[in-house]
Amino acid sequence: MLGNWHQLWVIASNPDNVPVVALIVLVPFFTWFGLRQAKANDRLIEKLEKDPELARTHHRKTQPYHASWQKEVHVWPYLLRIELLAAIVVTVILLVWALTVNAPLEELANATITMNPAKAPWYFLGLQEMLEYFDPWIAGVLMPTFIILGLMAIPFIDENPLGNGYYTYKQRRFAIWTFLAGFEGMWLVLTLIGTFIRGPGFMWFWPTQTWDPDRVEFLTTRNLDQMFGVNGKWLAHILPASQQPYAELWAKGLFGIIPVGLYMVLAAWIFYKIITSTPFSRKIFSRMSLLQFVVMELLLVVMLSLPITFFMRHLLRIKYVWETPWFNL
Amino acid sequence: MAPNQPAAPPPPDPITTKSLSGPLLIAALLLIAALGWSIYHEEIGLRPWRAYQARFSRVYSAFLEKRLAERRAAEKKLHAKAEYKKLEAAYEQAAREAQPKDEAIERDAALVASQRAAMLHSFVTVRAYVGSLTYKYEEIPNTPAYRSDKASAFRTMMKAREAKHEIAWPVGGGKTIKRYFNAEELNTEFTKLLDKQAELVGARAKADAPETAAEADVKDYESRTLPGVSAATLNNLLHKARSLTYSIHQLYDYPPGGSVNYSGGGILVTRCQTCHLAMDPSLVPAALTITKADLGLAKSKNAPFTTHPEPILLQIHSITTFGCTTCHNGNGWGLDSTKIAHGRYEHWPWPLYYKENIEAGCQNCHNDAAWTQYAPVLNRGRFLFRVKGCIGCHKYAGFDDQKEELADAERMIGNLEREKAGNVLTAKELNHKGDNAATNAEAQADYNAATNLTVENAKIETRVTALETEERNLFEEVKKVGPNLKEVKMKLHQDWIPYWIAQTHTFEPHAQMPQFRLDPDQVQAISAFIWQDALTGPAPAKQAAGDPVHGKKLFMERGCLACHSIGEGSSRIGGDYAANLSRVGEKDKYDYLVQWIHDPRQRTEPYDPYLKKDLTPADYKKAGLPFVFDAEHSTFEGHPIEWENPTIMPSFRLSWQDSRDIASYLETQRTDMKYAPAPYMNDPKLFAKGKALVMFYGCAGCHEIAGLEDQGRIGVELTHEGSKPLSRFDFGFEMANAEEGILPDGKKAPHGPWDTVRGFIEQKIKNPGVYDTDRYRPNPENRLHMPTPALNRQDLEALVTFVLGSVNPDEIPPYLLYKPTGDAAAIQKGWWIVTQYNCMGCHQIAVGQQSVLENLPMYQGENSVNLPPVLTFEGARVQPQWLKGFLANPALSTTDTNRDGVRSYLKVRMPTFYFSDRQISELTSFFEAMSAQPLQYVPPTLKPLTPQETAIARAIFTSPAAPCLKCHMDGNAQHDKTSSAPNLLLASGRLQPAWTLQWITEPNTMAPGTAMPSGLFRRENGLWVFNGPLPAIAKNYQGDMADLLVRYLFTMTPQEQQRVLRATPAGQ
Repeated sequence: MLGNWHQLWVIASNPDNVPVVALIVLVPFFTWFGLRQAKANDRLIEKLEKDPELARTHHRKTQPYHASWQKEVHVWPYLLRIELLAAIVVTVILLVWALTVNAPLEELANATITMNPAKAPWYFLGLQEMLEYFDPWIAGVLMPTFIILGLMAIPFIDENPLGNGYYTYKQRRFAIWTFLAGFEGMWLVLTLIGTFIRGPGFMWFWPTQTWDPDRVEFLTTRNLDQMFGVNGKWLAHILPASQQPYAELWAKGLFGIIPVGLYMVLAAWIFYKIITSTPFSRKIFSRMSLLQFVVMELLLVVMLSLPITFFMRHLLRIKYVWETPWFNL
Repeated sequence: MAPNQPAAPPPPDPITTKSLSGPLLIAALLLIAALGWSIYHEEIGLRPWRAYQARFSRVYSAFLEKRLAERRAAEKKLHAKAEYKKLEAAYEQAAREAQPKDEAIERDAALVASQRAAMLHSFVTVRAYVGSLTYKYEEIPNTPAYRSDKASAFRTMMKAREAKHEIAWPVGGGKTIKRYFNAEELNTEFTKLLDKQAELVGARAKADAPETAAEADVKDYESRTLPGVSAATLNNLLHKARSLTYSIHQLYDYPPGGSVNYSGGGILVTRCQTCHLAMDPSLVPAALTITKADLGLAKSKNAPFTTHPEPILLQIHSITTFGCTTCHNGNGWGLDSTKIAHGRYEHWPWPLYYKENIEAGCQNCHNDAAWTQYAPVLNRGRFLFRVKGCIGCHKYAGFDDQKEELADAERMIGNLEREKAGNVLTAKELNHKGDNAATNAEAQADYNAATNLTVENAKIETRVTALETEERNLFEEVKKVGPNLKEVKMKLHQDWIPYWIAQTHTFEPHAQMPQFRLDPDQVQAISAFIWQDALTGPAPAKQAAGDPVHGKKLFMERGCLACHSIGEGSSRIGGDYAANLSRVGEKDKYDYLVQWIHDPRQRTEPYDPYLKKDLTPADYKKAGLPFVFDAEHSTFEGHPIEWENPTIMPSFRLSWQDSRDIASYLETQRTDMKYAPAPYMNDPKLFAKGKALVMFYGCAGCHEIAGLEDQGRIGVELTHEGSKPLSRFDFGFEMANAEEGILPDGKKAPHGPWDTVRGFIEQKIKNPGVYDTDRYRPNPENRLHMPTPALNRQDLEALVTFVLGSVNPDEIPPYLLYKPTGDAAAIQKGWWIVTQYNCMGCHQIAVGQQSVLENLPMYQGENSVNLPPVLTFEGARVQPQWLKGFLANPALSTTDTNRDGVRSYLKVRMPTFYFSDRQISELTSFFEAMSAQPLQYVPPTLKPLTPQETAIARAIFTSPAAPCLKCHMDGNAQHDKTSSAPNLLLASGRLQPAWTLQWITEPNTMAPGTAMPSGLFRRENGLWVFNGPLPAIAKNYQGDMADLLVRYLFTMTPQEQQRVLRATPAGQ
């Protein structure tokens, strides 16, 4: 039942969740703040592009801007004093946090009693949520590896020198949207789901719904091949005798290639379309090597598979589209 | 954009011209404020106990000042007393006398001490140096390669050993001489000095002995005439209280094993004394008690400064072994806040017990005890657990598990029989193998093995016999809480049954049977099943009408009220062990009731657990047996049968007429209520549904029901219920309310949030269906089916206490568990029987315990002589062998049974309980142990009386100062009616001489308020002398007269009794 505000308060006031509650405020604020600066800078860039004379003498690329101002300023005192201020403010915040909220220690561990819900620390909640949608091996090993390697690969894929040292939206549109979709749209949303939505039994509780450990939920899912009635009966006639007992496995395994393959081709094509949609992005695309492009496509296709699976699971109750004896997708 | 236009002065660059001083200042001030806050938090916020300590120091000092002033005044007054002065003068005199000797000894001691000081430095240095050189020498291997090293080390060592050291040796009078010592001599001399010092201390003590004794006299006098804490001690305490510095007071121990509050490496940490400062023995010694009123804080709700309200409990459970949390729970480490320290937060699994459940802590360790001293609430809980029938559905280790034991015994006998058969076969094989063995040795080995197996089988045989005896005992011990429902057709009015099942607590608000939540069709089905399932005959004999007036008299007198109550509301009297009989006339049929009162064990038909059926007269006829079943006829075709009703209700050995009278009286106990006719009772269609329901609701847990004799308990076992993790309790839709502290009835919970083990148990017992609230359960069999027991607030808390305290003993260090041995074990075993059979309804058994009868209006004041005997000394009073006979047959006669064997003058009667042999011997051991008697009684040999002694004894016995036979029964029926003490002819077989001697000399100390007069004898030169006019022949008697009387009583014969009676007719 919705309307249990006490429940929501209990979750939000839990010492474990302080960082996540802070994220709700801080991330949108800094996104807006950064984009505002980027927009202002974009206007300046536009002005400078129109006035080559001005650009030659005064090309401080950040707002606020005035022609008579110094082109560059020293680190000391102008940067360091701001950093000092930030350090003090952060220290004050940490002190007050430490004084008011005790470490969320719990009872002594008991190997025979599992806590319910058993949740990861807040920074791993996104990862834990991914486990709901993929095989543990994929969600727990493969995807994190992709994330880490992918983040490491970014400077080698994205060789666009524009935007270094100043905020800009226009010159980094693709990168910014990829970041917003990947971090805020997916990772952060998964973290929030893990904090506020996942209750006892890791069931899906809407905010203000009572976290009842004895709740009964309709969670039965099916695999895509079940929906299409794949059973391998016709395949049994073709297969050699030694493989006939495995006809169903063969059928399912072969069947799964179709949707997965279709998805990959389609997703890659969409990303290709996006990256060649404007003259600016076409310029960047033309500078990329084939290897760079393929790696980028691979990373993006894998990233997109998460929201696709998410919606398939929640809207269509589909668990896996590709079943094999070794992995499920 | 337009650089060549005349420029307005450019705005200043915010980065280079704007000052950040303001924000920096604010940030810095905030930082300083935060630092200040953290210092405050560190000093005070995190240490709320400091405020308690400061306050305690204040109030305790004030308290001690007051006490000290009072004490000083009292001591001053005491010191002014002549007696004290005399003692003090004696002490001073002794001190003066000892002085010269003391001075001489002190001079010697001073010299020895100075000599020791003079040599100390050399002694210590040389010993250390020589020791190290010796080790160096020893360390070098004794092999040729190291020969020269070893030799050189040896030389160095010997040099050090033999070197002489000069010491300026004091010889008294401030003079010294030079003396020289080598290492060995230093050692010898030092030891000598130590011996000398010890000698001098001894001499001093000897010289001071009279002085010390005189001083002890003074102190002894002081503590005798002025008990309590002395002014000197108080002064020390005051000093401590005033100079109390902030510190954590804690107990710290490493008990072996266990984990309740000992977790984290098995450490007991109790820091409770940090706030509860009066519990720190170094601040408040055990001799001092402090209440809130003493400290002037009577009204304060936040003054944890009192000493333990039950010091006796701390004497039994030393605080250094048990700490606080072992009994009270709570977080022994916690100091951050009261909530944390008391463990009242979700992450501490052992929250402090609330006051009303405080005795749950006793149950933690006394978990298999039947009765615990100083724990009345817990004992009440255990009592209710049985009488309210909880035990019918919930297994609880130790409680009435005869049925389980019986099954175990049967299984074991089966196993042994199989083993025996196997052994026979193996022995046969071995013998055969021996016959065909190749060598003699092999054959011999086989034959030996075969012989061993035969011996083994003989052993098994004895074991089986023992188990069969045990089985027989268990058979007699199996009891059911509720009545036998096989007899309802004989016993009950048909239309009453459905009403009772539906409206149990309307009919009888205190009923032992709980109220079930049933739909009307379920009530009908259950009633119909029980009715149709019951036996149809043979019907009880037709009884003539009795005299209800006489019946009422008997009912009130015979002791029925020890278990049963009668009357409702404020006029309700009697015990709550058994049913309230106020409306029994509405339900029971007269003929059956008469038979029930006459002998509750009488069954309509016996039940054969082997054939699994009730044996009808036809069955007996087929077997060629008469239809007779009782203690002597307790088997059918070789297997034991249930020949008696499994009820606790004993037989009062009433005559048929008396039984009829009581039944007639009880039949008058009724209202005018008319019951709706229940035609469906005979509807066979309802039978199957009713049976399913009866099984579902576990009715057979408390009742004997045909066809369901073997049904087990349907509820969850509660032996370790208090240890169940909270997450395993299903609060249903009450969880949100529980977390917010709202009770199911919408009221605020007195203790706040009740999402705790205690909260669950309390609400569950109060309203067992509560966790079904809001659940959609159209099928009644999916609902929670625990019925609601009739409990008042205290009884509810008693049951909660019992269940809450029932934790898994594995969580407790084994050495803390109450595991009685010897006497204590015998006592606990007996308590199980005593509580099960409600002996305490009539008798006082433990000191301080009250029986039901002694609180009834008819036993108040002078009438208390009519009460059954107090049994606190029973084990010392009577001989165990006699007690066994008495317990088996309280009439002490097989023919004249309508009477009490010992006190036939009492109206209240000791009933026959039909104990099993084992129960009788356990009860006897119980009484022996309760009176601290050795478990093996060896009757002492009494010196025979000389004719002269007989004459003296007879004179005392009949003396007008001690007219024994005035009160003691003498066999004359007329006189015995008004007697108030047993017949003395029983003494030799019944009583123990030692107890009798104590009883005739000091009865009032053994049973305060007894009718037996005290002061019959007085103590003279270590002997008891008769305190009345003595006959001439006794004038020169040298022996103990009380002992003489005892010996006389123990040789009393009926002839002697008649003889003295003739001499002094009773009543004089």
